[in-house]
Amino acid sequence: MIIRELRLCQARRALVTAPLRQSCLRALTTQTNVPNTQKSEIPSIFTSNARSSSNTRKRRVDPDKMVENYHMATELKKHIGKVGATVKKVYRPANVFLYPPGPKDVTLELLMASQAHMGHHTSLWNPANARYIFGIRQGIHIISLEETAAHLRRAARVVEEIAYRGGIILFAGTRPGHMQIVTQAAQLAGACHLFSKWTPGSITNGEVILRGMPATVVDEHDKPVEGYEKFVTESRPLVPDLVVCLNPLENYVLLHECALANVPTIGVIDTNAEPTWVTYAIPANDDSLRCLAVIGSVLGRAGESGKKRRLEDAKQGTVAWETPIEVQKFMAEERANAAREAERIAAINKAQSAA
Amino acid sequence: MSTLRCSIRCLRDIRAATTTAISASTKCSAIRRSFSTTVRRQDEGLQQDLDMSDDGFGTRIPFVRPVPASPSYFSRQTQFQDSFVRVQELARKYWRLPRLPMTQVERVAWKNKTQYRLMVGEAVRETDYRACMSLVRKLHQIHPDLMPDEVKEGIQPFRRDINVYLNIARQIPVDKFGRSHGVGKRKSSVARAWLVEGTGEILVNGKTLSDAFGRIHDRESALWGLKSTDRVDKYNVWALVHGGGTTGQAEALALAISKALVVHEPALKTPLRAAGCITRDPRSVERKKPGHLKARKRPTWVKR
Repeated sequence: MIIRELRLCQARRALVTAPLRQSCLRALTTQTNVPNTQKSEIPSIFTSNARSSSNTRKRRVDPDKMVENYHMATELKKHIGKVGATVKKVYRPANVFLYPPGPKDVTLELLMASQAHMGHHTSLWNPANARYIFGIRQGIHIISLEETAAHLRRAARVVEEIAYRGGIILFAGTRPGHMQIVTQAAQLAGACHLFSKWTPGSITNGEVILRGMPATVVDEHDKPVEGYEKFVTESRPLVPDLVVCLNPLENYVLLHECALANVPTIGVIDTNAEPTWVTYAIPANDDSLRCLAVIGSVLGRAGESGKKRRLEDAKQGTVAWETPIEVQKFMAEERANAAREAERIAAINKAQSAA
Repeated sequence: MSTLRCSIRCLRDIRAATTTAISASTKCSAIRRSFSTTVRRQDEGLQQDLDMSDDGFGTRIPFVRPVPASPSYFSRQTQFQDSFVRVQELARKYWRLPRLPMTQVERVAWKNKTQYRLMVGEAVRETDYRACMSLVRKLHQIHPDLMPDEVKEGIQPFRRDINVYLNIARQIPVDKFGRSHGVGKRKSSVARAWLVEGTGEILVNGKTLSDAFGRIHDRESALWGLKSTDRVDKYNVWALVHGGGTTGQAEALALAISKALVVHEPALKTPLRAAGCITRDPRSVERKKPGHLKARKRPTWVKR
């Protein structure tokens, strides 16, 4: 629909002058604004509002010096970056990710500095955690850091041994800041991570929920092996052999499924959490990302050392794990099929030679 | 480890079987098992098969185990989460590289959530995708001469296969007779108009304008592009219109004429747009729905 009354005056105003191109034929016809067009070829709307060229200061277009400046700055920093006082013992939040502490670095000071001892308000406590609690201060429970360190070291041993025995470890942390913690721990330990919601039934109903997820078959040196494509597509989805949960309160379903499937779990248990939900509890503050980053990196480092030990032993010829029964069955079937096929071909060849 | 777990399961199954054998007959236990909802592991059966199929050569079983191909195996969104983690890593790594202002960055058509979901076939959440895309856009702002290759690879899955911003509109030519051609549509009418410099003669489907459109309003609509720019007596129009009613035909013609006019005089595009002759009116008859009498009208509610 064209709204004439509204648009007319606007359009008219826009057309004080004649168009850009004029042909001879049109020049012969009656024109209201011929003199105007002869003056300038550009329609007035393009010039009327603009300042005339003599008044406008020409904007200088600088050549792009971004790259040059960047290189110069890095070069300068190389020379003068170390000038000045050196500040020691400074807390940098990224250091826990840049230089992740391992099980050997777990000290009460580190745990205290990362606020692992801060529990919840005394009214929120779960009495089952009484043995991990050191006392009450300013209305909140204080977690005993000796307990925390001992349990953390024990959990690190569990992770290390499971990594050594070639188990699948899952690091799960589903609160907003947990993504980096969980992914880094998984990267260190060569494990899996979960930072989004746990889909209920991924273990107990894995055939449906995790169907078609990509898996590979590896040998003792963690090198992928050919010839198991059929097994990978047809076999059941994988089940983790250990689950490390940073926030057990929100992941009850995950822990319950693990319990049903006999999967051991490690969980960070705050004073308001239920310690029986997990197999190996680590009493610590689960609301502090800094504390969880320390715990995650300690467990990740433990997994890393276990994995390293496994690969080294595999080079020496020692393997601490067995081929799963499903894979053995698949191999036996394949062998039987191959034998049957060979027999068939031999029979055909024999018949041909007899004829 | 999985073998350990399997053996524990076997033990549990055996224990269950023995207890049922004591309490009830074997038939009973079979029924119980067939009704149970948990997935029955057939590890005992597997083991027996293996024992039977053992060829006796004593060959060592190779060490082989299945592992997840991606660390996001248990999240059900392996491709997206792997890309997301990668993008976050890159953003953290290259945060200090100089970035161009938004106005100078090359325009790129990114996939939206629906397109991305279609590509990877995973139920990606809107909030996650938005968080990921904001990082991708920031990474794309890095100066092209300093952009590392891994960043290019990292943000590649979020680009659309076709960059629509590289498309250039085809120029409509003025042919050797000095005609320009424009097509316009409105409702279900389609109009084609040929404009030639002339004296204001107009033929619509071979008829004069007053014959083609009975209403004065329609006549004015059809020529609105020429009239609002004072070009009625400077061009001859020859037009074909079909489909729809008179209003649709007239306004389709207005669109066609103004498009053809812009070919002759490109500078008129802005005033024509202001006059409302450049934009296609997308409104048309709404479809009838089942359960409705018309598009939206519903039958009268009757209690019973």
